[in-house]
Amino acid sequence: MNRTVLGLLGLVTFGGLLEVAPRVGLVPAQYAPPSSRIAAALAEQARQPQFWAALGDTVQTWLTGLAIAVAAGLAVGVLLGAVPMLWSVTATTVEFLRPIPSVALIPLVVVLYGSTIRATVVLVVYAAFWQVLLQVLHGVADVDPVARDTARVYRLGRWARLRYLVWPSALPYVVTGVRLAASVALILAVTGSLIVGSPGLGKEIEVARQSGAAPAVYALVVVTGLLGVVANVATRAIERRVLAWHTAVRTEVGA
Amino acid sequence: MRRPLVALFTAAALLTATACSSSGGEKPAAGQPDNVNAGVIAIVDVAPIYLGKQQGFFSKRNINLTLTTAQGGAAIVPAVVSGQYQFGFSNSISLLLAAEKGLPLKVVCNGNNSTGKDGEDFAGLFVKADSPIKSPKDLVGKTVAANTLKNIVEVSVRASVKKDGGDPAGVKFAELPFPDQLPALQAGRVDAIFVVEPFQAAAVAAGAKKIASSYVDAGPNLTVAMYFTSQQLESSNPDLVKRFTEAMKESLAYADSHPDDVRAVLGTYTQISADVRAKLTLPKWPAEVDTASVQTLADLAQSYGLLTKPANLTDLLP
Repeated sequence: MNRTVLGLLGLVTFGGLLEVAPRVGLVPAQYAPPSSRIAAALAEQARQPQFWAALGDTVQTWLTGLAIAVAAGLAVGVLLGAVPMLWSVTATTVEFLRPIPSVALIPLVVVLYGSTIRATVVLVVYAAFWQVLLQVLHGVADVDPVARDTARVYRLGRWARLRYLVWPSALPYVVTGVRLAASVALILAVTGSLIVGSPGLGKEIEVARQSGAAPAVYALVVVTGLLGVVANVATRAIERRVLAWHTAVRTEVGA
Repeated sequence: MRRPLVALFTAAALLTATACSSSGGEKPAAGQPDNVNAGVIAIVDVAPIYLGKQQGFFSKRNINLTLTTAQGGAAIVPAVVSGQYQFGFSNSISLLLAAEKGLPLKVVCNGNNSTGKDGEDFAGLFVKADSPIKSPKDLVGKTVAANTLKNIVEVSVRASVKKDGGDPAGVKFAELPFPDQLPALQAGRVDAIFVVEPFQAAAVAAGAKKIASSYVDAGPNLTVAMYFTSQQLESSNPDLVKRFTEAMKESLAYADSHPDDVRAVLGTYTQISADVRAKLTLPKWPAEVDTASVQTLADLAQSYGLLTKPANLTDLLP
C-alpha cells in the first residue's frame, strides 16, 4: 500500500517535471511538449478509429509473433535438449545466429513481404525465438540427476519422462523465457511498424512525425509504454499461476 | 499425458499456416468491383486520391480502392512493379530514375504541381532569420538539407542557385528527413533547409526566412509527382487502368476546386493539427501531366549527373 502511494508519487513528480521543463524553456516546447499537451493529444487519439485500429494491429503483430516464437522455441528447445548429438551439431550455428539483431533483417523482410504485418511478425519471431530457445535449453539441462535416475529406475517411458520429469524442471525457465520474449517481441512489433511501415502504432508515430505533430508522437509513445506495462503485468500473473507449486513462488506457505 | 505436446505442435503449425496465408490480390468474380491497392505517402500532395475515394469517384467506376501508406516513393516503386500495389504515387525524378534503370513503369496521370507563384509555393528554401545568406547564390559552399539525396530537392535547389547567378555545382547537400530539418537549421547544423508543407508552415512560424521557391525556379507549372502503374498491368488489364485514370483525374479536378474539402480530408490520414491545416499552402492539382516540365526536370537531372542519358519520356508518360 505504502509502496503504491510512493510509486504514484514518483510518477506524478516525473509528469510534473516533463510539464515544467518545456514551460521554463529548459527544452524547446515545439519538439518536447509539456505533459498536459501530450495528455490532450492522447485524448484526441482515443477519439479516432484509426488509433484503435493501429493499437489492434500492434497487439496482433505482437501476440502472433510471440506465439510462433514460443511454440517454435519450445519445440526446438525440447528436441535439442533431448538429443545431445543434435545440440552439438547446431550449437555453433545458434551462437552465430542469436546475436544478429532482428532489426538488421529489416531490409530482407521489406523485400520479401513489403510493408505488411507479416514482415514485422518475422522480425518479432526472430527476436523472441532465441529468448525462449535458450531458456528451454537451460531448463531441459537442469533436470535433477537423482530425479532422472529415479525415473529411469521406475522405467518411465519417453513421454512420461518428458511430462513428469523434464517439463516440471524446465517450466520455470520456460516461463522466464516467455516473459523476456514478450517484452522483446513488443519492442520489435513497434520498431518494425515504425521502420517497415507495417500497420500499427509505429506507423502512426511516423505519420504523426511527418505531420509535424509532436504532441501526437509523444502520445503514441506513451501508449507503447502502457502496452509494455500490460505485457509485464500479464506475464507476471501467468508466472504466478503456472508456477504456483514452485518453491520460488510459494515461499509464503512455508512461513 | 501426450496431449499437451500434441496441442502445442498443432498450435504452432496452425499459427504458421495463418501467418503464411492471407494477402489477396486475386481477380474478383464477374460483376464484383475490382479490388485495387494504391501505395501513397501520408503527405498533403496525395489529398486528391483520399478525397476522390471519399466522394465515390472510384466506387462508381467499380473500383474498390484501398490506400496503403508507405514511407516514400522508394518503397512504392518496387511494390508496384511486383504487383503488391496496382498503382502508386511518386515524385517525377524518382520515376525518371526508375525508368532509366529499366523498371517497367507507366505514368497514368498527374500527381501534383507547384503553385507556380514565387514565394507562394507549397515548398520552400529557408535560412535562419539572421543568416548571412540572402539569396540562393550565397549557398555556394554551404550545406542544404534535403529529405533524399540525388532527387527532386537537389535538382530544384540547384536550379534556384543557377537562376540566381550562382554555381549550382557548388552547393552541398545533407540528407535529413523533413521533420528534422527545422531543428537542424535552428541548431546551426545546416545552412539552409528545403521543406514542404506542413513543415513550411512550421518554418515560417519559427521565423525562418524563405529565400526561394525552388519548385517554381526549376520550371513553370512543375509536375512534382505523378501516379503510375506497371507496364504489365497496363497491358493485362487496360480497362482497369483506364477507369482508375478517369477516377483519378476527376479526383484531381475536384481537389483543385475544393480547397476546404482538401483541408478537411487531411485530418483523416495525417496528424496535421487543425490550425496548421487551415493555413498551409496547397499544391496545384491539374489532371494532365505537364510534359514540358517533366522534360525540364529530366534535362536538369541529366546536367547534374543524376541521369546518365536523355530520358525516354514517351515510354514513361501517358
